Amino acid sequence: MPLSRRTFLAAGTGAAVAGLTGCGSRSSLGSASELTMWTWVGSVNDDLIGQAEKGIPGYDGLKLSMTRIGSNYKTKVLTALAGKSLVPDIVAINDDVATYFPNADQFHDLSELGAKERENDFLAWKWKLGVTPQGKMMAYPMDTGPTALFYRSDLFEKAGVDIDPAAVAQQAPDWDSYIALGKKIQQAIPGAAITDNVNSVFAYRMAQQPQRYMTADGRYLGDQDHVREAFDLAIRVVREGLSANAQDGSTDADAVVTNGRLVAFNAAVWWAQLGPKNAAPKTKGNWRVAAAPGGAGNRGGSFLAITKYCKNPEAAFAFISWLESAQNQAEAFLDPVLFPSTPASYTDPRLTAPDEFFGGQRIVDVFAESAKKYPGAYFSPYDSIIGDQLSAQLVIVETGGKSPDQAWNDAQEQIERELTRAGAI
Amino acid sequence: MAVNRIRQALPQYAAISPFFILFAIFGAFPVLFSIWISFHSWDGIGPMQWVGLEQYHYLVTDPKFWQTIGNTMIIWVLSTVPMLLLALVIANALHNATRFRTFYRIAYFVPNVTSVVAVTLVFGSIFSNNFGLLNAFLQSIGLGKVEWLTQPWGIKIAIATIVTWRWVGYNAIIFLAGLQAISADVYEAAKVDGASSRQTFWRITVPMLRPVILFTAVTSTIGGLQIFTESRVLFGDTSNIGGPGDAGMTIVSYLYQSAFIKNQFGYGAAIGWALFVLIVLFSIINWRLIGGNDDERVTSRARRRAERRIKQQKETADVR
Repeated sequence: MPLSRRTFLAAGTGAAVAGLTGCGSRSSLGSASELTMWTWVGSVNDDLIGQAEKGIPGYDGLKLSMTRIGSNYKTKVLTALAGKSLVPDIVAINDDVATYFPNADQFHDLSELGAKERENDFLAWKWKLGVTPQGKMMAYPMDTGPTALFYRSDLFEKAGVDIDPAAVAQQAPDWDSYIALGKKIQQAIPGAAITDNVNSVFAYRMAQQPQRYMTADGRYLGDQDHVREAFDLAIRVVREGLSANAQDGSTDADAVVTNGRLVAFNAAVWWAQLGPKNAAPKTKGNWRVAAAPGGAGNRGGSFLAITKYCKNPEAAFAFISWLESAQNQAEAFLDPVLFPSTPASYTDPRLTAPDEFFGGQRIVDVFAESAKKYPGAYFSPYDSIIGDQLSAQLVIVETGGKSPDQAWNDAQEQIERELTRAGAI
Repeated sequence: MAVNRIRQALPQYAAISPFFILFAIFGAFPVLFSIWISFHSWDGIGPMQWVGLEQYHYLVTDPKFWQTIGNTMIIWVLSTVPMLLLALVIANALHNATRFRTFYRIAYFVPNVTSVVAVTLVFGSIFSNNFGLLNAFLQSIGLGKVEWLTQPWGIKIAIATIVTWRWVGYNAIIFLAGLQAISADVYEAAKVDGASSRQTFWRITVPMLRPVILFTAVTSTIGGLQIFTESRVLFGDTSNIGGPGDAGMTIVSYLYQSAFIKNQFGYGAAIGWALFVLIVLFSIINWRLIGGNDDERVTSRARRRAERRIKQQKETADVR
């Protein structure tokens, strides 16, 4: 049959219609012989992923297909879930895991896939973070973010402070003595700061508390003493002139690390990479880590979840439990520096090797201690709504000199409005 | 009969249908669906919950929303006024340039085709508090440093500078086109009458350019109400996309933050419609300002003046 214009147009229209409607026919992303996974950049060890891309251990003929998403990770995951189509089998979830709890029906209950047997391998508080208040195991632990005090040994020495980690921890067991230490260093090094901005103090103080903004049964705690204490502490550090006023996400955040203004910082383990190692490679050998003032804490740490669209949940679970075994988490500590949630990893030679960036210190000991001592806290789905308001007000206090009481009241008022709208209170 | 006519028209309709089908899917549907969403509370995944006008009620009582309108207006004024003035001067210089005209024209237009993100990143390091080029310069000439990216005014000036830098060349090219359309006779006549170059500029160039100036003012208004990328890139894509104290949070940033960071799609849609109302409002103002052609406006003004004079005369007559 010769190709007439009419048949050409008809064929074209047919193809276009098929193309437009074709997406709706399948709900899971990828071909039948692959498990698809989305994570953000730097959340998994590439060698391990490379192994799984050749074949999932124990499941012949099934391969992993991995997509690393550069920015707006959560938006993309939510878009896929909202579209109910071409959803990846496995997704990584950040420490805002609780914001997914209202939509826990989008994920498999991992305890039905055999997660219970692995529970004892993990830090108890970390495990609980992935379980909804209704008892559904929605997310499987990846790394954690135990906190400790980072400090510049060269600058401490200049200020005449004993630089031994144990001595530093002894000099600054709580925030009061830490502020006093900061003042002392400031006399020798003008402009020295012990935090990049007001919110780091607030966030890391909150990260040490056994309670956060809500109870598991939905009672609001954000106006209680433990929050106010962290709020006031953050402002006190600013008023003492110990904050570098480099707001998050600004070009200054790295600058204060590079130019040596930040002489000490109570931060989570991942900051070692994001802060000094990336921003100030020349400070190699000058950093040390000591137990944090104010006690053990945790900030950050991620999870893996299996979506309900998953082609083969058993295989997916086998894969994630392999990826997050104590052995493999130790591998992920080397690259990309994820701190394991499995205590058995803490004695692994890959973690206990001295770190030259920290002058040969075994920093894992400090962080492992923090991870084990951390009491754990309940994260509610509304924590980011609440935390964001408090942080926003703290920024105004630091940059605009707003009165702390006014800032606190404004934050509480706005939180009440937002929680009411969200139906949380 | 009628069926036959429809059948006859069918191929023509089929031929123009692709546009309408695509428009319906990618243009009309999202618009209508966003109205629908704005009456709901929806996190994107779970069920949509009908809340009626609750989102709009929240919107008008939301201090942050009013703050974003204020921010947008301030940034708009701070960027548009210097931008248009500068563009006029540049266009005039280009018009009178004798050498390398094409080179200058391209040079001034290049910022406009440069990626906003790249531009913003560069300006971000210029305005940086601790490390910035601008602060280094200010300190080197003995002035104190300014915390550009943390102070409310500093943030707005930084954003306005980026917008100005990027669009000044574009507007200059448009002004240049307008300048070239002005007949040389007028200038010659002015020269003959002994007008100075300043007089020529203010008495001839500017009035004759009025329609072009109004065009650039209108396009800048539309662009100004939609400022988004600059503040977003300056302050990263975390929850503080407006910068410290949300001083750089524009209406569109707030929409983006509500819908895509906080996953409150209903509220995001409501902000979108508020922005729509605002743009309609500005369009009406613009339309009132420039409505009708030049001659009509002149004649109506002359008529009003004449009427007023007649009335005055009448009054004085009455008094007598």
